Amino acid sequence: MLKIREDRQALARRIEISRVGVGALLSFLAVAYWFVQIVRGEHYFSLSENNRIRAVKITAPRGYVLDRNGAILVENQPAYTLHLYRREARDLEGSIAFIVELLGLSPDQVRSRVERGRREPEFVPIPIAENLGIEEVAAVQVRAVEHPEFAVTVSQRRLYKHAGSAAHALGYLSEATPEQIKSAGSVYRVGDWIGQKGIEGAYERLLAGANGERRVIVDSHGREVSEANRLEASPGQNLFLTLDLELQSVAEEYFRELVGAAVALDPETGEILALVSSPSYDPNWFTRRVTPAEWNGLLENPDRPLQNRAIQNMYSPGSVFKPFLAYGALAQGLVDPEGRVFCPGHAAFYGREFRCHKRGGHGWVDLRDAIKVSCDVYFYNLGRRLGIDRINEIATAFGFGRPTGVDIAFEKSGLVPSEEWARTKRGARWYPSETISVSIGQGPVLVTPMQMARAMAGLLEGGRLPTPHLFFSSQAPGTGAPLAYKAEFREGLEISPEKLQLVRNALWAVVNEPGGTAYGSRVEGIAMGGKTGTVQVIGRGATVRAGADPSKLQDHAWFVGFGPVEDPKMVVVVFVENGGHGNLAAAPLAKALFEARFGLAVPQPANTAVQASAPPPPGRLRPAADREAR
Amino acid sequence: MIGGVLPGSRRLDLVVLGCALSLAVLGVLFVASATTGTRFEGLASRQAIWLAVGVGAMGAAILFDYRMLLKFSFAIYCVCLLPLVYLLLFGDTIANVRSWIRIGHFQFQPAELAKIATALLVAYLFENEDDARLHASTVMKLAAIVGLPILLVFLQPDMGLAITFLPLLFVGLYFGGLPARGWAAIAVIVVLLAGGAWFLLKDYQKARIGTFLNPDSDVLGSGYQVRQSKIAVGSGGFSGKGFRSGTQSQLRFLPVQHTDFILAVIAEEWGFLGIILVLGLFAALLLRALKLAQTARDRGGVFLVLCLTAMMVFSVVLNASMMIGLAPTTGIPLPLVSYGGSSVATTFLGIGLILGVDFRRFANA
Repeated sequence: MLKIREDRQALARRIEISRVGVGALLSFLAVAYWFVQIVRGEHYFSLSENNRIRAVKITAPRGYVLDRNGAILVENQPAYTLHLYRREARDLEGSIAFIVELLGLSPDQVRSRVERGRREPEFVPIPIAENLGIEEVAAVQVRAVEHPEFAVTVSQRRLYKHAGSAAHALGYLSEATPEQIKSAGSVYRVGDWIGQKGIEGAYERLLAGANGERRVIVDSHGREVSEANRLEASPGQNLFLTLDLELQSVAEEYFRELVGAAVALDPETGEILALVSSPSYDPNWFTRRVTPAEWNGLLENPDRPLQNRAIQNMYSPGSVFKPFLAYGALAQGLVDPEGRVFCPGHAAFYGREFRCHKRGGHGWVDLRDAIKVSCDVYFYNLGRRLGIDRINEIATAFGFGRPTGVDIAFEKSGLVPSEEWARTKRGARWYPSETISVSIGQGPVLVTPMQMARAMAGLLEGGRLPTPHLFFSSQAPGTGAPLAYKAEFREGLEISPEKLQLVRNALWAVVNEPGGTAYGSRVEGIAMGGKTGTVQVIGRGATVRAGADPSKLQDHAWFVGFGPVEDPKMVVVVFVENGGHGNLAAAPLAKALFEARFGLAVPQPANTAVQASAPPPPGRLRPAADREAR
Repeated sequence: MIGGVLPGSRRLDLVVLGCALSLAVLGVLFVASATTGTRFEGLASRQAIWLAVGVGAMGAAILFDYRMLLKFSFAIYCVCLLPLVYLLLFGDTIANVRSWIRIGHFQFQPAELAKIATALLVAYLFENEDDARLHASTVMKLAAIVGLPILLVFLQPDMGLAITFLPLLFVGLYFGGLPARGWAAIAVIVVLLAGGAWFLLKDYQKARIGTFLNPDSDVLGSGYQVRQSKIAVGSGGFSGKGFRSGTQSQLRFLPVQHTDFILAVIAEEWGFLGIILVLGLFAALLLRALKLAQTARDRGGVFLVLCLTAMMVFSVVLNASMMIGLAPTTGIPLPLVSYGGSSVATTFLGIGLILGVDFRRFANA
């Protein structure tokens, strides 16, 4: 007992000594810091002022986008951006007032821009206004001595040369969203531009290239004194699209006052020659940073200009669905092409009366006649014989009900019904009478114009479905090796050449024989085939949407054309919302496109030609030689 | 003998608790400053989560009777050393060092926990070795207890972490009562070992020591960090450049500014006043903890508090010296302040044990 107590006293003494030791160590450290920070503080402060190596991004020039013939669709042009250097600003409110006055900006907008940059370290300049004019740049420069906090930098701005043309195919650039900045493997920082939607989004990495970096030594005012080292940017690659600007312009001209979509496709390869969604928008808005008013205008427009109707809107196919059923029934040997059906103008199925679009009826029709005159009664009967699940099988084989795989994002799948779909997804059993509606492309069957174009290409090619695409050619970064799209196909329903010929011939008759539903649209000099479709706008939803505007209750018009019939080189799908009859509203565009494609009419002049004064894009200007030969 | 436990006799030492919490909050603040706009952004909130975990562990350690822990300290020691063996065999390699175990989203450095376990076993050893004279056998036991984890961590190889175990040796020898000739013998052994160790050190470790001895020899290599951190500290001056406005730290001159060099960021942005604040908080915390050691109820408690405090003193002094080139850069974080979840959490666990010893200084069991 005694020994322990003694030990604890010794222990207590050692602890007391250790406390003195710890206190001395910490005091020594405080003195050492005092020496470094106070005595030598000036010296280190000047070192830190001179010792400023700053990393400056070298933005890689973004690749141009050109059409298949080398006409420039998207390029870059110099743009002047006004930056605010907060460290130089003694009176932030005064600075804001000055610049608002000088450039006529909205004070709230300037303040919100300043606010957005607040999280960045103070020496990082905040962009205040983009795309200054030369006069504005001069005005800022003149006052530079009084307001050193503002500086103008030159950068490259994306320019969509033909404004709203092919906007939905091209996409646009916008500032990277917080999600995009945070996503895995992201190289983007606040304020960086990134391709959204369309080609700009799909081929972002190819177009963007890789940014470089300069390490510069700056003085205490942030001015560059010299460059320490640099890592060059590797520029983005130019990208040739399958689009043909001439065809694109013809189609857009046609849709100037109309709402709808058009797709022109090479049925052998899946190359998209034209892609229109109307109304359109100007992608240049986004590079100017859309104002809230413009943005709300875009969002509130009931015709939804941002939506790509060719791949995102789903419509009833109407009568353009019929040739696919005919093909499917023939391919599976489920119909005798010689067999005839009598059409009195109406027919009863499952206790319900179904009308043919021709009041008086078509009389006796066989398969070829039924396609040519689009006889509903014939297809009611065919549809009843097939049943909904076989119709589903045929439609699925033509790629309906699933995305086409086109190389731009946000594509819709459409809808092909089946008994199982009705049971599991819809929650109400399938009624046989619905099958009758589906057999003329009405009822719960929905397709996108792109799906329709691809399906028609598949029908013409004996069942082989090409994957539609916009990528034509480019070059690999680094090596410069040519890049071409590797055409992809999906095999569908096989058919004998004679039966295929029968369907093609019937579609030729639609346009070229008297009595065909598109007889008025035949093209002199080329054998065009096609099929019209007219879709009734029904349902309460449509009535509500139409509101006071009765034109919104007009039928939608479809036309699907192709030519030449013997060896189809182009498929054209035209869809006009509330356009009325397919023959009158949609077929004329197909006719115009074939005339333009095969040089049968004077091509549209004006803006389609490449201007000689346009600066040449960096890199290769023509598509790869092997593609050119086509 | 006092019958039962008098509620009034229990107390929670608010000086230790308050200083520890203040330092940890300061840490979260400056981790945020040092990481905004970098790819490390978000670490501050992670640090805050670990702080909460640490406070939870601290609470548990206060409530749990440390005498139970001492009783089972050998088992705890064995269990806590197992992951170190595991790491040597299967560990991921992060930053050249194999010292982290991944648990879901978080990484954990098991050596931090091993420090606490080793401290417990050393305290247990000296609870029973209570002769006024330090026996040679006790020294051997002590060397074995502390040497094993040092060896395991050194092989990872993380020299910085390995040497943070050394204060435990010192505590045993000094407070155990090693006589003067014992110290002389140890000095001889250390000199011999240091000569031998030079051949065992990795090249980058040698480079760091070389740089320490002559910092201007390699301005762009490993001298770079020391030099830049000195510029950061010195340019802070008396009152600093302002929170988040340090040019050295915000311009990323300091490579690991949110971990080992956090004190340089504080020095640059809050100046000498910031340093006085940090050193003052540490001084209050550590001197108070040593005071608590004096009033602990039993010898085990005394040694436990001494061990835990000594390790903190060692890290604080070494880290603060590193910033201004008074010690080689060894990768030792500033306790409670530097970014590092396992370090913050286990430091709080240690503080919980210290408070627990004090909590029970009159208690009977």
